[in-house]
Amino acid sequence: MRDFLETSLGIVIALIVFSLVSHISVYLIQAINVFSLLVIYLSSSRNEVYGACLGAVCGLIQDSLSLGVFGVAGIAKTIMGFLAGFVSKRIDVSSFSRRFLFIFVLITTELIFWAFLYSFIYSKALNTGRGVIFLQPLITAFFGSTLFPQIRKGIKAISRYRR
Amino acid sequence: MPSFFKRNKSLVVLSILIFLQLVLISIQVPLGERENYFEKAVFVVFSPLQHGIVSFFQGIGAFWEGYFSLRKAHKQNEEMRREIFSLSQENRLLRNALEQYKSENEIDEFLGEMYPNILHARVVGLDASNYYKSVMINRGSLNGVEKNMVVLDKFGNLVGRVIGPISLNEARVQLITDKDCGVSVFTEKEKVLGILSGDGKGSCRLEHVVSTDEDVSVGENLYTTGYDSIFLPGINVGRILSITPTADLFKSVAVKPYFEFRNLDQLAVIRMPAKDIFK
Repeated sequence: MRDFLETSLGIVIALIVFSLVSHISVYLIQAINVFSLLVIYLSSSRNEVYGACLGAVCGLIQDSLSLGVFGVAGIAKTIMGFLAGFVSKRIDVSSFSRRFLFIFVLITTELIFWAFLYSFIYSKALNTGRGVIFLQPLITAFFGSTLFPQIRKGIKAISRYRR
Repeated sequence: MPSFFKRNKSLVVLSILIFLQLVLISIQVPLGERENYFEKAVFVVFSPLQHGIVSFFQGIGAFWEGYFSLRKAHKQNEEMRREIFSLSQENRLLRNALEQYKSENEIDEFLGEMYPNILHARVVGLDASNYYKSVMINRGSLNGVEKNMVVLDKFGNLVGRVIGPISLNEARVQLITDKDCGVSVFTEKEKVLGILSGDGKGSCRLEHVVSTDEDVSVGENLYTTGYDSIFLPGINVGRILSITPTADLFKSVAVKPYFEFRNLDQLAVIRMPAKDIFK
């Protein structure tokens, strides 16, 4: 039940951030992958099955917010969520540099899968948003590795306050 | 066999999830022309959520702005009076122009039908994968929005058309900058016909202009023809940016659309289909 509530709250927050980001600048949508950050954050403290399921849900939400074939982002995020849950159990990602590298590799992997599926289905060149999409792993990894410890601190502070 | 599944539970779950999504993709072939019920269901669930989030923040912004804008109200009122005056003049001139082709009664009937069918809308979401493909607006089936209704920006320039999915209070609009969008257009001077489609990067291309055609020039305006039975004729679409000769049968004509992303805050949805207006 707690997992379900946390996941639902996470999705709502991701939607809020996504909406705000899209109103600041259209390029930011491609620069920061909010739903992927949510998947990585929640999956890294759980397991690969949870990561795959959450990845599928977030990917399908992202697909529903875009025009095109439904399921492309779903598959890419499913794989990414699975890897996030699988890898985080085996390596320590608590330091900034390791966390940065961990998120960077995951986002790059997701992007590769997404680009492959997109090109395969559409048989068209990918819209790179004037190259912004290539910066997505870097920018998202920077945001993720900076924000994750702050979020954890915030959650700990709230639970301490409740006690 | 059951022990295999038990041992590799996570891989089995991953395979099932990927398989289900591949099935989902395959049933949409060719390329999601009609949205499936699952996609529609997810859209119906999450689009009001996004709409609510945007409305909430817009509400806070509007309250803040409202307080400060009270001071400017008088000045704006004067400006709007002048604008209404100019628009009335423009309307009169257009009526005069129309009178050359139609009777007074027909014009009254036509314009009378048009006004209540212009629906004001706001953008509440951009496309998550490519912002030049589509936007989500805060008007849906409850407001009478249907597929293929024409969408204009606040200056009357063509933005796109309504496509599915449409929920009660939200609908998706395909932009003319989308690669899969096609609009029948003609050039201003020599009335050369062509099909306008997006390049997926914020600009458009005028297609099917034969290489031997010399009547198309850079800087010319493009207007809709109405031949596609979706877009009303005579709407401003864009301006020709460049013409590049190719080795193929057709020229490569780049077009800059008139609508701009920064002007997409307010849109007009024309609730009358083209065929009903020009019957």
